[in-house]
Amino acid sequence: MWSGSRTGASIRRSKLCSILAPCSILAAVLCLLSCGSKPGPGAIDLRPVTFEPVTYDQWQRELASLKGNIVVVDLWATWCVPCIERFPHMVQLYNRYKNGGVTFVSMSVDDREDKQALETARQFLRRQNATFRNYLMNENISQSFEKLDIEGVPDVWVYDQTGRRRYALNGNDPNRQFTEKDVDDAVATLVAER
Amino acid sequence: MKQTSGTVAGLTIAIAFLASATLVYGGKYNSTINIGMQAPVFTNLPATDGKSYSMSDFKEDVLVIVFLANHCPWVKGGEPDMIKTVGEYKSKSVRFVGIAINLRQEDTLPAMKARVQQAGYNFLYLFDGSQEIGRKYGATHTPEYFVLDKNRRVVYTGLLTNSPALMEGRAPRYTNGPPAQFYVRDGIEAAAAGKLPAVTETRPQGCTLEYASR
Repeated sequence: MWSGSRTGASIRRSKLCSILAPCSILAAVLCLLSCGSKPGPGAIDLRPVTFEPVTYDQWQRELASLKGNIVVVDLWATWCVPCIERFPHMVQLYNRYKNGGVTFVSMSVDDREDKQALETARQFLRRQNATFRNYLMNENISQSFEKLDIEGVPDVWVYDQTGRRRYALNGNDPNRQFTEKDVDDAVATLVAER
Repeated sequence: MKQTSGTVAGLTIAIAFLASATLVYGGKYNSTINIGMQAPVFTNLPATDGKSYSMSDFKEDVLVIVFLANHCPWVKGGEPDMIKTVGEYKSKSVRFVGIAINLRQEDTLPAMKARVQQAGYNFLYLFDGSQEIGRKYGATHTPEYFVLDKNRRVVYTGLLTNSPALMEGRAPRYTNGPPAQFYVRDGIEAAAAGKLPAVTETRPQGCTLEYASR
């Protein structure tokens, strides 16, 4: 329902200007349909921002299919203020590493029954230009906490190439809170190990 | 700490004693508090009524402490049931105290005072800007309840019921249907009877409390 194709790569503005007019118009229309946020300076990312509901089992299969890559999972929700505040950092990190073999995904634990929250989430992801894979936990929300074994969000999981979860950065201990730098360091550590 | 027999028990206790000097206890979800532990005390915390309170001011047989945060949709969603539960025990020797520790402007004293009025809180609502009481209780999410018995030992930590309510738009929505298990109520009844409830700890799902790094 919220998914879209992930075809098309970044197209430089200068290149757009030099190609045939019909293509430019098509690109512009595509952009109107898919770009919820302002394009960055110099380049337009034409990949639509997706928001796909997955059951826990589907999520487990998705995670398994990513084995071989360093994977960063940002667990978040629109009801979580710190998640919203930290999301831009995740997008920055994605842009820093997207050509470097690090896969980023987000997983929302918004209530699938709350249509307004889902629309808010989708608009937020567009504004953030979150062109990595964005999932919504398609389970009863309290079951989501149980199945994912989380107490709250934000929770940032970082998997190494063997598929082992090496970091779970969250607020489950008052004396071990995490910062954006901890996320940076976790990814950098696994990249350096590779 | 479960005890076995003979020398094993002695050894276990000795090790536990040594460990306790350097390590904190930990329940399944709580990194600091174990069921049966003496509850950490608080002293002179300011309340929304303009006075300050210490744990020793409360002489009731059962003390329920709940960590709250104004902005949190899980707190707002849980307010009707929280207020109803407090009301049910008004004539009993049971005291409820809310504590806020987040340092966001919307979660601190002026906003707390407004929330007490708006939502009709029928219990004391204290603020700890040092966040120390949260650290001592290992509180990490809101709303997170702690039920203490007459000797102020912790008999229960976690959720109010098995169906936390999330504020969606302007209305709370039970995430597990109508509540079927009332953990805090069971904890209060058990504590009043000098026992432990059947369920002593639940996953404190909710908004994450934000502690300052140090």
